[in-house]
Amino acid sequence: MIRPTTARISLALFVLPALTIYIAFAVLPLALSILMSFFSTKDTAGRVFVGLQNYYYLFTHPVTSARFWNALLNNIEYFAIHLIVEVPIGLLLAGLLTSGLLRRSEGIYRTLLFIPATLSVVIVGFIWRLIINPLWGFVHFPLLGNEMTALPVISLMSVWQYVGIPMIFLYSALLAVPEDIVEAARIDGASNWRIFWGIKFPLIAPQFGLIVILTYIWTFNGFDLIFALNGSAPGPNYSTDILGTLFYRTFFGSSGQVADIDLGATVATVIFTIILVVTAVYFWLVQRRLKTYQI
Amino acid sequence: MRLKHACIKGALVSLGAVLMAGSALAADAVTIKLGSWRTEDIAVWQDKLLPAFEKEHPEIKVEFAPINTNEYNAAIQSQIEAGAGPDLLTCRPFDVNREWIRRGYFEPLKDFSPIKDFSDTSKAAWTDGKGEPFCLPVAAVLAGFYYNVDIFKELGLQPPKTADEFTAVLQKIKDSGKYTPLAYGSADSWQLAYNGLYNIGPAYWKGEEGRQGLLDGKKKLTDPDFVAAFKAFAAWKPFMPDGQASLQYADMTQLFTIGRAAILPDGSWDINQVTATGLNVGVFGPPSATADGKRYLQEMPDMAIGINATSKHKDAAKVFLTWLASPSFQELYVNEAPGFFSMGSKPVAYKNELAQKFADQKKGAELTPRLALDRLSAGNPPLDDETWRVLQVMMTSDKLTPDAAAAELQKGLDSWYKPQK
Repeated sequence: MIRPTTARISLALFVLPALTIYIAFAVLPLALSILMSFFSTKDTAGRVFVGLQNYYYLFTHPVTSARFWNALLNNIEYFAIHLIVEVPIGLLLAGLLTSGLLRRSEGIYRTLLFIPATLSVVIVGFIWRLIINPLWGFVHFPLLGNEMTALPVISLMSVWQYVGIPMIFLYSALLAVPEDIVEAARIDGASNWRIFWGIKFPLIAPQFGLIVILTYIWTFNGFDLIFALNGSAPGPNYSTDILGTLFYRTFFGSSGQVADIDLGATVATVIFTIILVVTAVYFWLVQRRLKTYQI
Repeated sequence: MRLKHACIKGALVSLGAVLMAGSALAADAVTIKLGSWRTEDIAVWQDKLLPAFEKEHPEIKVEFAPINTNEYNAAIQSQIEAGAGPDLLTCRPFDVNREWIRRGYFEPLKDFSPIKDFSDTSKAAWTDGKGEPFCLPVAAVLAGFYYNVDIFKELGLQPPKTADEFTAVLQKIKDSGKYTPLAYGSADSWQLAYNGLYNIGPAYWKGEEGRQGLLDGKKKLTDPDFVAAFKAFAAWKPFMPDGQASLQYADMTQLFTIGRAAILPDGSWDINQVTATGLNVGVFGPPSATADGKRYLQEMPDMAIGINATSKHKDAAKVFLTWLASPSFQELYVNEAPGFFSMGSKPVAYKNELAQKFADQKKGAELTPRLALDRLSAGNPPLDDETWRVLQVMMTSDKLTPDAAAAELQKGLDSWYKPQK
């Protein structure tokens, strides 16, 4: 028989390796980055504590704050397009895959639709840029060179790439819906539409909520596709600049710009806060109220 | 069991011997590290340049340690602030370097005699506020126009010398209907400034006269000379390909190298890419804008090398810098990296034909660096970044006229640059 104390020690020992790695590579860098945002290294005297001065600069300097708000608004648009297009299409595809309409080709579709998500963003960006290139591609309008269309177009490229993620997530949730409930509804004369919205969707609502909040986290941490397509000063006129590219530009500088490590850490902390607050509010207010049915 | 222990012991002893031998070797030869943002040059340095140096100086080993261009500034800054970093640093021109000098990253080179072989203009991009040098100039790049010699022959055109001739040539190519006059697009905003406005502009703002005027506050971007440059650049629009707003730098080179466009406004660093398909390529400099035919050429100090102030091998680093200052290195370097030009005062022969043609443009032309990188980008908003953005808006939409573009840039400069206030 194992004594409780031994159990507790072995539990701690089992958790330790993962915890060590997590602390060393996630918690510590995050904490240090937050700490850095309260210091200034701009003077030769080394690191000086400046309190909230970096935040004050970020939010009040006419040029820097304008870039920040622009990036935040663009990021909200980037998220909104994912929310309005990617998640519903993912749900639709998951619904179709589990509807039985596809019969034996279900596996093929599932794989095909998921493949883009496994590609590198650099490849996705490159292919799409060629497809819509006015010189060699199918579209003669400079979609990426116009302030109105550039961000929606890039968002849709990202939607195309990642639609497989919500699809596969909701698909596996739908598979877990017991067949007998669906059978019972069908015997009662419910249509497929009614069955989906009246039975299946309420059962997968918690997973649906989760994919929404994950989309929020992914898009607010977004960076790679836009950087691959438009570099670190994404134009035209910063119309495709999101928080990730703003951070990169600030932190790393450029050939003509000194790297501003302090302000970069400040931007990173603000991004972290934006994600943390919304995610926390969501979990407290929404996710807890979604009913999980015992089935 | 005993056997196993003996084996391990033996292994440890031999490992120790190897380590000791290694440190004995290290005592003979000093290894110094050279930090650079030119990851693409790794083969040139490792296979050609450094072996040539090590042959002359077997007591010094140099390790070329490049960092991704985009991350170079941040990497060097964080390394040096932490008391580390390579012994030799590649220096960014002008404002970034001036800030690094202010922070004390470099060993001063004021009393380092080999640097006296370089002219003041060559050294200017890497000096502090008082004009003292901190980095040894290595290479400069030029900007101009590549043209397709066969298309010019076919249409009976001559490389233009004046702004009027330039417009006439563009119009003739357009009228021919067979080729795009300019392989040029606006998706990469940096090159609108570096290969566009800063290329033809000096002819209008009179090179250094205009640039120094901005620096000491005597001139403004809204002055007629500057506005004329913005106008001349905006006049390219009808000669650019359809959908140019989303054409990238790589697309432009491609359009030119497959022979669909006649002229490519570009920098000398692109020589290898432009000639990759075996196209018959010529070079002409920015056309003159005045009746007297005075020519200006953008010569941008690109790269210099300085010594890390915290390096433990400063003497070895100085030996290396002395070698960098010698004509033998310069000739080797510019021929290994065509498109980069020596900044030394002694003449250098270029084996690459196009590089020689580019170098020929320097004769009789007044040289001037890129307009906004010296001092004018050391505040917020930095003039150079703003120029990229504003030119992109001007070239891709009707939102900004050349006058409005110049006015917007001047407004940004007024907000922080003291001599302009």
